[in-house]
Amino acid sequence: MNKAVEDKLLNERTIEENALSSRDYKYGWYTDIETDRLEPGLTEKTIHQICDIKKEPDWLREWRLKAYRHWSQMKEPHWPNFNYGPIDYQALSYWTAPKGTKEGPKSLDEVDPELLKTFEKLGIPLSEQKRLSGVAVDAVFDSVSVGTTHQSELEKVGVIFCSISEAIEHHPELVKKYMGSVVPYTDNFFAAMNSAVFSDGSFCFIPKGVRCPMELSTYFRINSAGTGQFERTLIIAEDSSYVSYLEGCTAPSRDENQLHAAVVELIALDNAEIKYSTVQNWYSGDKDGKGGVYNFVTKRGKCAGFKSKISWTQVEAGSAITWKYPSVILQGDKSVGEFYSVALTNHRMQADTGTKMIHIGKNTTSTIVSKGISTDESNNTYRGLVKVLPSADNARNFSQCDSMLVGNKCAANTFPYIEINNNSATMEHEASTSKINAEQLFYLQSRGLDLEASISLIINGFCKEVFKELPLEFAVEAVKLLEMKLEGSVG
Amino acid sequence: MSNTTIQTTDFIDNFAGLADQRLADESVGWLKTLRQASLSRFQEAGIPTVKDEEWKYTNITALTKQKFQLNTAGELKERAEFADYCATDKIRVTFLNGRFSPELSELTDIPAGLTVLTLDKAVQSHGDQIKELISRYDTAKASSFAALNTALTDNGVYIEAAANTHVEDYVHIVHVTSASNGEALSLPRTLIIGRPSCEFTVLESHICFDQEITYFTNALTDIYLAANGILHYTKTQHESLKAYHINNTRVWQERDSHFDSISVMTGSALNRNNLDIILNGEGIDSTLNGLYVNYGSQHIDNHTSVDHRFPNCTSNQLYKGILNESARAVFNGKIFVKDIAQQTNSYQLNKNLLLGTACRVDTKPQLEIFADDVRCTHGATIGQLEEDELFYLQTRGIGRHAARSMLARGFVDDLLNHVQNDEINRKMHSLIEPAFAHLT
Repeated sequence: MNKAVEDKLLNERTIEENALSSRDYKYGWYTDIETDRLEPGLTEKTIHQICDIKKEPDWLREWRLKAYRHWSQMKEPHWPNFNYGPIDYQALSYWTAPKGTKEGPKSLDEVDPELLKTFEKLGIPLSEQKRLSGVAVDAVFDSVSVGTTHQSELEKVGVIFCSISEAIEHHPELVKKYMGSVVPYTDNFFAAMNSAVFSDGSFCFIPKGVRCPMELSTYFRINSAGTGQFERTLIIAEDSSYVSYLEGCTAPSRDENQLHAAVVELIALDNAEIKYSTVQNWYSGDKDGKGGVYNFVTKRGKCAGFKSKISWTQVEAGSAITWKYPSVILQGDKSVGEFYSVALTNHRMQADTGTKMIHIGKNTTSTIVSKGISTDESNNTYRGLVKVLPSADNARNFSQCDSMLVGNKCAANTFPYIEINNNSATMEHEASTSKINAEQLFYLQSRGLDLEASISLIINGFCKEVFKELPLEFAVEAVKLLEMKLEGSVG
Repeated sequence: MSNTTIQTTDFIDNFAGLADQRLADESVGWLKTLRQASLSRFQEAGIPTVKDEEWKYTNITALTKQKFQLNTAGELKERAEFADYCATDKIRVTFLNGRFSPELSELTDIPAGLTVLTLDKAVQSHGDQIKELISRYDTAKASSFAALNTALTDNGVYIEAAANTHVEDYVHIVHVTSASNGEALSLPRTLIIGRPSCEFTVLESHICFDQEITYFTNALTDIYLAANGILHYTKTQHESLKAYHINNTRVWQERDSHFDSISVMTGSALNRNNLDIILNGEGIDSTLNGLYVNYGSQHIDNHTSVDHRFPNCTSNQLYKGILNESARAVFNGKIFVKDIAQQTNSYQLNKNLLLGTACRVDTKPQLEIFADDVRCTHGATIGQLEEDELFYLQTRGIGRHAARSMLARGFVDDLLNHVQNDEINRKMHSLIEPAFAHLT
């Protein structure tokens, strides 16, 4: 986000500050725009329709159908720590797009001004003159990508950054080779569903030896009612390359629940590094738990090469339900996996999130830092797996999961699974649960800070280890997001 | 798949058959009802498989392939070893192959205020107390093996410390198994009650001096500690290396009571322990320590659960293990803190020393917390001996093997030193000794 926009947002907030005590969701509005959409329901016909709209090759149609057939045999999982009513998968529309975008993204000049306005309002300017200098953005609206910026500059260094639909059209060999190689369509219920109906998403390819000159980012927006977003992101970093990728999400406040089932696959080859940051702020429902997005996401990265590195950083502040375990398969020798997470739940949000670190290669290391904050009547769960296979000599893991409870109607749970099959492994896990220290609060207040400012300062300190992993612009955003969410919940 | 189903059915039917016999023999009305309910519960719950979250890392297929018999006659063949292990006991109740053995027991000198009875006698004289203790738990929700024990058991011990009594000597409950004419099934049932402001010490030993015999011990222990009561409880498990040992221990603590326990596990091919503690009052202190030293292909699984129901309680858990050769350990510790249980302090730590080349650890310490003003921590570590420390000892002229053994002993000593009673301490050390011989 550039300076001007940042300032603008800041100013807006100072004016609104008093009004914000109800902790309104800033992105709750929706754009009234004409859409093309498929009839609700999910059958083989739906898949054919999606393929026809997107003019997809036969191999992909086959793959989708296989995934669909597999999905229809599967049962919705109920092991997480959640309470929610049944989801009617036949009542959702699996393809919704603003009118005229069926053909896929064209040049930005042709994009509906209404759409551009939407993204501008979200703080993501797409039009040429306002482009940010350091970040290339792919904007996804409901089921389609409406535009990708900075493509020509990226092309100069050989980086491919486009929507997945474009990639299927222009780089089928890459998509065919890597899609499903990390998260196969058989992986789980929601991954199978996504494989069958995925609409759009981003595709990044960083060729050998290239350090991507700018941050790549995708902004996801669910707008229409009665729909879900099923995006698919694929990032491939070839030997000795580097990329930092950001992801942001928002949705309008609606009384019904919206479904978001995404799949993200990362592949890092020899000496490559991928840094993936998310600030997730889907609509979380009102304080009685009505509405909100069901966020069922499968994210997984594979450190396929020697000394490769994948780092996940996430700030989970939205969604009625979050079910998300960004994982790393440490296959290459000396590969490194990292997971930094802040999950904040308020109202009646339910979050079951964590990570999986699968050590396969020798001398692999992984770090997990997870901070959970629960307030109101929310339920916040960390669930993680550290698995060391017999082949992973000298594997090393450090995990830390801290939870903070604000109020006594919320819950914080920790379920770490640690499975060690190699005697040369060294691993440490520690977790703690506590409340905001009363002495610290008193100290800050005695220095003239009011209660809310003191709490926000303490929470920032609590999450500092994670925030410092975020790219600067995102870190600023994340801190503000947390402050906004916490406002009025303590004291 | 269908094959295992059939075997499991056989396994359940085998027990159901035994239980029918037991039911027919039962003369006490309420006990008959309880046994009937437990049998139904066992048949309903069935035999857990690795698909059950609670049994994810412990596969008991090998156990279900065996056929066991009740009431195998037996003669203690290793008298010298037994005498040595039990040398200084003043109060001892011994069960040989699951049956009470008056000859090996020592019940003549029981101090005032302490009641030690075998289960059959206690049912007659202390029926109400037993009923009250058991009624705290819902039979319909019992685990399969706890239900199996209740349905079948007819040998056990009842210990009660009266209010305001302080018992100096420890009570030793010994379950010893010796070779007999069949593969024995023993179902030890232990009931321990501490009345208000009592203090006493109990040592429960499961031992076998013959490493070659196969048998199945399915134990169930209930402990009730009234307000201000103090119990020092030690459990040692040194079964034969071919034995199966499943143990359920349920502890119920009232206000300001103090439960201080350690469990030492060195034997058996497959060992599963469930230790459930309910803190049902304010100001309770509970310590659950555990030590396992294993080798060969032993499998040891500890599940603990601490339920904080009231404010101002403290619980401490420290489980340590040394694994040699291809031994396998599982640890799952749960801490629940109810929303009213403010000011709870709860600690949990599982430390593993991996010395064997093919050993394996699966650990899952978990917290479920609903109160905000609490301090709960848990941790797990897995590692090897420090190369620097070994090197240091070697530079002082100590051989590498001796140095390893020294460091491994240091690892376990801080746990063992918690036990105040010298005699119990000596017994624990004598049991872990053979496992140390397998240090690699």
